[in-house]
Amino acid sequence: MDDTGEAKRQPPIDPRLLEVLVCPLTKGPLEYDREASELISRKAGLAYPVRDGIPIMLPEEARKLED
Amino acid sequence: MSDNTETTDFGFRRVPRADKRGMVRAVFDSVASRYDLMNDLMSLGVHRAWKRVLITALDPSPRRSLLDLAGGTGDIGLAWLERGGGPLLLTDINLSMLVIARQRALERGSIAGASLLVGDAERLPLPDRIVDRVSIAFGLRNCTDKTAVLAEARRVLRPGGRFFCLEFSHVRVAALQPAYDAWSFRVLPMLGRYVAHDEASYRYLAESIRTFPDQDALGDMLREAGFARIEVRNLSGGIAAIHSGWRL
Repeated sequence: MDDTGEAKRQPPIDPRLLEVLVCPLTKGPLEYDREASELISRKAGLAYPVRDGIPIMLPEEARKLED
Repeated sequence: MSDNTETTDFGFRRVPRADKRGMVRAVFDSVASRYDLMNDLMSLGVHRAWKRVLITALDPSPRRSLLDLAGGTGDIGLAWLERGGGPLLLTDINLSMLVIARQRALERGSIAGASLLVGDAERLPLPDRIVDRVSIAFGLRNCTDKTAVLAEARRVLRPGGRFFCLEFSHVRVAALQPAYDAWSFRVLPMLGRYVAHDEASYRYLAESIRTFPDQDALGDMLREAGFARIEVRNLSGGIAAIHSGWRL
């Protein structure tokens, strides 16, 4: 669905959420990639999308990180 | 922990455990836009009174935060804010329900206190001991692994925090039973067909109410999840009940 690069401008995530959210699988920290509008869990190797300012914290909807 | 069987309840049917979440999501995606109207019809408006009882029990205070699970279109969370409650985390597994909640919060001027996120109550994206209250109203019934939901609720509560579950339960007044049966298995699916154009989804709702643990069984589940001082309050003769427990 969403591609990197020319992603349509997504509204930013609620800053209060950024402070508290963790990865639902590892309960570890998340990095916010504002450009891609994703919350990244390195430990789980998943990027959770933020749609219209609302984070989608479901592993089955997350993008797998490849590296 | 949870039962090891490979199937779980989906209304009166048994379905593979792995399939239930998607099936429940499909039900709510299907009913989202008319969900509030259907709730009014389903309970003859009584769900509003039950929710008011829950809000009062939650005891909103600006010093307390609330995590509302399966918060759907925001009935509990927005009322918490309007009654003076502190920061609100509103979660649901369906983005389409939360979008309606956000719209309502904007219209009612209460958006500032609310943070919205899509999450699974069985695997919360939150650290331990972060909120003072956890509520789930008409949501636990739709979860696959209810034991996991209760464990997660306890995990994210601060010591001294309290959990509340409002859910359909089992009628404790025998005289009510025949009318209630006719209502839920004949009238409801018909309302589902004509109002929401989705009879199957409302049949699921009626059936899932009957397969949900009764007052005593759910109280035991809270105890096993580690909650203390468990209380059960029957509403409308047990058609619904509020279970609560403390994390001490």
